[in-house]
Amino acid sequence: MATQTPLATKPKSDAVVEQRIQKLRELYADAPEIGKAALEKTMPNLKRELAAGTGTQNAGRIGARQGKVSELTGIFPFATPAGAKRLRVLLQYLEGNFKLADLVGTVHDMRFVFLDNDTRLLFCTAYDGDWDAYIDDFATKIPDALDLLFCDAEGWPGLRSPKIKDWIVAHQIAADAWYVASPNLTVAETRRLEKVGKAVEELLDQVG
Amino acid sequence: MATQTATPTKPKQDSAVEQKIQELRTLFADAPEMAKTGLEHALPSLMSQAAEAQASETESAGRIGIRQGTVSELTVIAPFAPGGAKRLRAVLRLLNGNFSGGRKVGTLHNMRFVFVDNDTRFLFATAYDGQWDPYIDDFATKIPDEMDVIFSAFEGWPGIHSPKVKDWIVKHQIPAEGWYVAHPDLSVAEAGRLKHIGKAVDEFLDKLNE
Repeated sequence: MATQTPLATKPKSDAVVEQRIQKLRELYADAPEIGKAALEKTMPNLKRELAAGTGTQNAGRIGARQGKVSELTGIFPFATPAGAKRLRVLLQYLEGNFKLADLVGTVHDMRFVFLDNDTRLLFCTAYDGDWDAYIDDFATKIPDALDLLFCDAEGWPGLRSPKIKDWIVAHQIAADAWYVASPNLTVAETRRLEKVGKAVEELLDQVG
Repeated sequence: MATQTATPTKPKQDSAVEQKIQELRTLFADAPEMAKTGLEHALPSLMSQAAEAQASETESAGRIGIRQGTVSELTVIAPFAPGGAKRLRAVLRLLNGNFSGGRKVGTLHNMRFVFVDNDTRFLFATAYDGQWDPYIDDFATKIPDEMDVIFSAFEGWPGIHSPKVKDWIVKHQIPAEGWYVAHPDLSVAEAGRLKHIGKAVDEFLDKLNE
């Protein structure tokens, strides 16, 4: 199901860029008019991006990473309609709050989306660092909360099961592209900077 | 397709929380064993969260989608037009996952492109600042051509400048039922500002130590 995204690459030579532009023009020859026109208009930008070559890296076992921030995207079929209903009610009662995720310390964001008439669940997160360490963090820090949320996914082995990582990999789909505004800003570094920012403001207030 | 989730609420009375716990227990009565155990283990902290709902409210992001603090979510799943999957994959591969274009939209935290269901559908998920309408307007103003190159891969894409584009997006957007953000009050701009301050403070401290 999942294909891994390419590893980071070095800046590309003009010849490689030209070759890729050529390939894109061929592919877009039978695109809708809007797409064809847009390709030409955006060509200067595309050339710059192609030449820059600061590529997406991988997040370890599976998934894309930019700098320190990785993505995990999974689609899980629900075992039963009752299971989908349970999760929906649980999420509604929590009113979208997951302050428990603060305990993991490496989660930037996380969303739960019901697909296809509540037969499948889409789970997307942005997190710091490597896949294995991230899953281990969940298992160590909030295993019960995770079992509660995912127990109704078909075949969920339990977060403490030795099969858990294989199960996740089987349902994860690596992103083909992944953009992060501040790729070097971890959750922990953000918290530090928020403190620094506040301290600087207080200092300036006192000086002023 | 999409139902909108709850608007902000006030702190709960104990009795209301108790009632919800009862309802959850009923719902979980026929859940797998590990879920029942998980529920009992996790209930205390889950419910203290629910009671503190005021601390971090999930709100609407405007037309569609939900928001925590300043950070909103947008999740779109759309079927590919014929040949669209192949074109788009080639573009994304060639760009090697780069979207410096995203930087021009100054309110974009992160953005992922994922091929699902054997390349028949496409998932586009972003985290962004503020309200839905200005966000879409930003894309249309700042990177219209990039948008058309990418989104013309989908069935029925009307073009970023079309008056129908917002309806198209709404039709394919599914609001999240749950949305967690580690730093809900940190906009992209504020993160940029803090990085500058952090760097300035580091340099200042280095000078003091010289």
